[in-house]
Amino acid sequence: MEFFQKTLEPVIALAMIAVLDIFLFLVVGAWTVGGGETMMTGLIAKFFMGHAIYRIPFWKVAFPPDPYYWKIYISLGMVFGAFLGAVLSREFCWRMPHRLTEWIMITIGGLLMGIGIRLAFVCNVSTFFGLTPEMNLGGYLAVSGILAGTWVGTWIYKKTLES
Amino acid sequence: MTPVAECLAAFVFGTTTGLLVQRSRYCNVAALRDAMLFKTYRNTKAMLVAMMIMTLGFTAFISIGAGKPMQFDVGLNTFIGLFLFGIGMVLAGACTVSTWVKAGEGNLGAFWALLCTFAGMFLFSLLWSFTYWPPAPGTMTGRPNLAGLQFGFANAATLQLKTGIPAIVFGLVQALALYGIYRAILKRERAGAKATAPARDDGACEAWATADSVAAAVPGAAALAEPSA
Repeated sequence: MEFFQKTLEPVIALAMIAVLDIFLFLVVGAWTVGGGETMMTGLIAKFFMGHAIYRIPFWKVAFPPDPYYWKIYISLGMVFGAFLGAVLSREFCWRMPHRLTEWIMITIGGLLMGIGIRLAFVCNVSTFFGLTPEMNLGGYLAVSGILAGTWVGTWIYKKTLES
Repeated sequence: MTPVAECLAAFVFGTTTGLLVQRSRYCNVAALRDAMLFKTYRNTKAMLVAMMIMTLGFTAFISIGAGKPMQFDVGLNTFIGLFLFGIGMVLAGACTVSTWVKAGEGNLGAFWALLCTFAGMFLFSLLWSFTYWPPAPGTMTGRPNLAGLQFGFANAATLQLKTGIPAIVFGLVQALALYGIYRAILKRERAGAKATAPARDDGACEAWATADSVAAAVPGAAALAEPSA
C-alpha cells in the first residue's frame, strides 16, 4: 500500500489531524497529552504506593487518579497508531542512544518536561492545538514561554555538542 | 456521553493521530528547534496550517455555544512551565507527541524520556503538596488573582460575551495573522533557495541529533552525533 511506502507530507497530515481535532473538541475536548500523562503518573504511583498516594495532597486535591480519564487514551492510541504505522511500513526496529551524553540530556529533558507540564497545567500540544486556537490567554503565555525555552534549549544543545 | 465512550473516542483519535504523525515524521520539537537552529521550516509550516484550521473550527463552534474549550485559570506559572518544557524538549529531542510516537516505533530513548517525564511530574506533585501553587483547578475563580500570580480566564467565548462580536471574527483575525507568518516563511524559503544550495530539510526528529544535522549547525561536533537510525 502506497501510504506505507512513502513519507506523508506533514502539512497534509497535520491538516487531517486538525479536522479530527475539531470533532474531538465537539465531543470531549481538544487534543492534549500532558493531562493524560499526569493521570498515568498518578495511576502508576497508586499501583506501587496503594492508598498511601492520597497522603500526597496533589493526588488527593488536584489530580485524583482515575483510569476512566479520557486523555490517557489519546496517548495510548498514539503509541498504538505509531506502532501500527511502523510495522506496516517496515520501519519498526529497536534502537537506543549509544552515548552517555545523550542519556543524560534525555533524562534532564524528560524531567524538565514533566515539571513544566505540571507547573503550567498545559503541554506543547494543548498550547499549539488547544489553547491558542481557542484564543485562550494561556495559549499566548504558553507560546511565549515555549519559544523562549526552545531558544535557551537550542543554545544549551549547541554548547553541549561544541564542548 | 459515558466515560467509556469518551475513552473510546479519545483512543480512535489517538490511533489515527499516531499513525499520521508516524507516516509524516512530524515533530513539534523540529517545528521550533529546526526553525531556530537550521532555518528549515518543514514542520513549522505544518504546525501553522493545523493552527489556522483549528482556530477557524474552534471559534466557529464557540460562536454558536458548541464545543468544549479548556477551562482553567492561567498565570505566570503558564509562562514559566512552558519555558522549562521548551528547554526540556530540545534536550530530550522529543516533545509529548514524538515521545509516544517514537516509543511506538521501538525507540528506547523515547521510552526513557517518557519515564523521566512521569518522574518529573511526580517530583512536581511532591513540591506542589508544600506550596499549593499554582492553585488547584477546584479553587480557580476565573478572575485575576495577583497575589497568586494568576491572570484569570479569557478565551474566544469570553471575548464574544464582552464585546458582542461573534468569536469567529476574532478567529478570522488570528487565522490571518498565522497565515501572514506562513507566507513570510514561504518567502524566506524561496529567497533562500535562490541564494544558496538547497538547505537540509529532512524533518529529522530523532531523540538525538544526526551527524549531518549537527555538523551543519555546529562545526566540529559531528564526532559526538549519532548516525541516522
